Amino acid sequence: MPSSTETERFEWSPWAAVAGLILAATLGAMVLDRDVSLTSQAMLYLLAVVVAAYNLRPLPSIACAVAAVTAFNFFFVPPRLTFAVDSREHVIALAVTLVVALVISRLTAKLRTETRSAQLHASRAHQLQTLAGTLAATTSAEAAVAVARRALDVAFPGRATMVTLGSEGADEREAGTPDNTHDGLRACMREAATLGPGTGRWPGLNAWYIPLGDASQMQGAVCIEGVQAADVDGLEHAQALCALVAQALHRLKMATHMLAAEAEAQRQQMQGTFLAAISHDLRSPLASIMGAASALQSQSEKLEPAEKERLLASISGEARYLSDVTENTLQFLQLTNASAPQQRTWESMEEIAGAVLARMRLRDPDHRIRASVAKDLPLIQADAVLIAQLLVNLLENALKYSQGAIDLVIRATPTQLRASVKDRGPSIPGAQYDQIFQPYARNDRSGQRGAGLGLALCRAIAQSHHGSLTVKARQAGGNSFTFAMPLSPEQPRIDMESAAP
Amino acid sequence: MNLRLLVVEDDREIRAMMQSSLSVEGFEVQTAVSLSEARAMLQHRTPDVVVLDLGLPDGDGLALVALIRQRHSLPILIVSARHQEAEKIRLLDAGADDYLTKPFHVGELLARIRVAMRHRGTALAPAVTEHRLDGLSIDLAQRSVMLHGRALHLTPTEFKLLARLVRSAGRVVTHRQLLSDVWGPEFTEHTHYLRLYMAQLRAKIEADPAEPRHLLTETGVGYRLATA
Repeated sequence: MPSSTETERFEWSPWAAVAGLILAATLGAMVLDRDVSLTSQAMLYLLAVVVAAYNLRPLPSIACAVAAVTAFNFFFVPPRLTFAVDSREHVIALAVTLVVALVISRLTAKLRTETRSAQLHASRAHQLQTLAGTLAATTSAEAAVAVARRALDVAFPGRATMVTLGSEGADEREAGTPDNTHDGLRACMREAATLGPGTGRWPGLNAWYIPLGDASQMQGAVCIEGVQAADVDGLEHAQALCALVAQALHRLKMATHMLAAEAEAQRQQMQGTFLAAISHDLRSPLASIMGAASALQSQSEKLEPAEKERLLASISGEARYLSDVTENTLQFLQLTNASAPQQRTWESMEEIAGAVLARMRLRDPDHRIRASVAKDLPLIQADAVLIAQLLVNLLENALKYSQGAIDLVIRATPTQLRASVKDRGPSIPGAQYDQIFQPYARNDRSGQRGAGLGLALCRAIAQSHHGSLTVKARQAGGNSFTFAMPLSPEQPRIDMESAAP
Repeated sequence: MNLRLLVVEDDREIRAMMQSSLSVEGFEVQTAVSLSEARAMLQHRTPDVVVLDLGLPDGDGLALVALIRQRHSLPILIVSARHQEAEKIRLLDAGADDYLTKPFHVGELLARIRVAMRHRGTALAPAVTEHRLDGLSIDLAQRSVMLHGRALHLTPTEFKLLARLVRSAGRVVTHRQLLSDVWGPEFTEHTHYLRLYMAQLRAKIEADPAEPRHLLTETGVGYRLATA
């Protein structure tokens, strides 16, 4: 990179070029010496001066003009091979050549500068355009910062450093940012103004500090090192770049806020449905418990024994339902606000199913549930209590919403463990497949009380085991709920001893 | 003489319910609303069974279990909500005899108390060494396991595991207790040993291993050998 030390060093190439041009003009003039006049020879030298002026910096090109006149004088103006000039005519020719050479040199130099600056303008405009396009496509602040970094590195030879303000207002400095640069960046953000040479603020610095955004929407700041006060265009370009980046960062920040706001709104809406549904699920059983209990209290003498039995059964049944709803709700909240680490141990699905069946038989006196559990199932890494609750909920629903046999089928594939609960109840319409797994989405299957959180909890449990819970209609009527979870590729191994003789 | 029961429970309604339903069964029921009150009552007079609710306002039941175990071999029953798994297991490991999950039926509570009473004094008297239920008969002294009159061949580890459950027949034995007693204290985290050996035992003992009659699973807690 063209650092300042390099430009100060003496460069050989422009002087060699000057020497080459003068040599070429002199040789050309010598070759043509017999055929052409002194004026034409002067034109050759002039050509060398124009070429030099267009291609070289001012100093070498002026030197070239002087050298050309000197060489012309020495080699061709009589008396030849001396610096003396013998007629007034030749003095005028020489002087005019020098003046013309100098004027051309200045004009071409100016032209060259203008061409260069026009090219630079064009490439900078192009860069801004591309940058705007690229930034519009970014979806994260990190990506936008990376794009901005690349643009700054392309646009400016000096080192560029960025700092961005995170969502909490803490600045995220890049690794390796020197303290004084970081202080400058912070000052720049504080003042919300560009600092550095050519800006009127802190002109003593050798870097520009440009804020990203304005005082009300500060996104960060950029430091570009190794800059000149006179580079007004460069400063403008840097500010234009930074404005684009600031805009993009602001857009991304707003998008994040929007998402968060939407999520919050959704959460509140869900909480609303949740509370409405939960109060319904708690109120109706409470009402029937209170009704039955008050009847037993105040009308005890008038009631038939069978009627009393029915009221008592209703109290205990409704109380059990309340207990289930409470259990499911608590478990669901615990699982969906999973901040607590979940415990995973090696569990046997056969054992879990056995415990679930033992629990279910109390509510299934007619043995409607038929279990078919494959032999030699692999162990799973799971929370057994949760898996048991999943199966209990599915079986409870099947008992509640269907008549006839219910199948609990547990099988393993090489990669998955699958547990299905199949009933012969009314098939759930396909359109409701997603809905029934929503917390408290109600489907009025056979007019019975809603399943509450049961299925939502089941799905949450399945997902917490990296598995899934799906439902599909059975061919001859009924529903099949299937829980599938991936098997660990490695099963625990122990050396089992053989039976004692 | 009536059996004396100490019920430690902070909820007034549950306390009243337990008092009335247990008194009807002929128990002499004392109640305490807190751990400190329970400690005071224990110093005064030793009950025959303690029913201890988890989550009492004045602290952890663990200290009370430890205190009781220092001096007495009386049975301790834990009453817990389903979400208090970890605490329940801690107390079982510390020496509590069994647990009940709220809400429970009075019948269940009575059954647990009966089982606990059967094991009363096991620390002093010879432990349970024989077990008979539904065609399964186990005699630890003879090292014999018979199913419907046929002798079963068990591996030494299977026998040790079954024997441990027989000694606590009817009561829950936690995973930790089983692993520690059968394989050794350094194996308490190796639950897969239990899963695999229990599966083998069930395959030999149960008619339908998927719905066991004898070797019951207490999900998340441990195992229980059925006595009824």
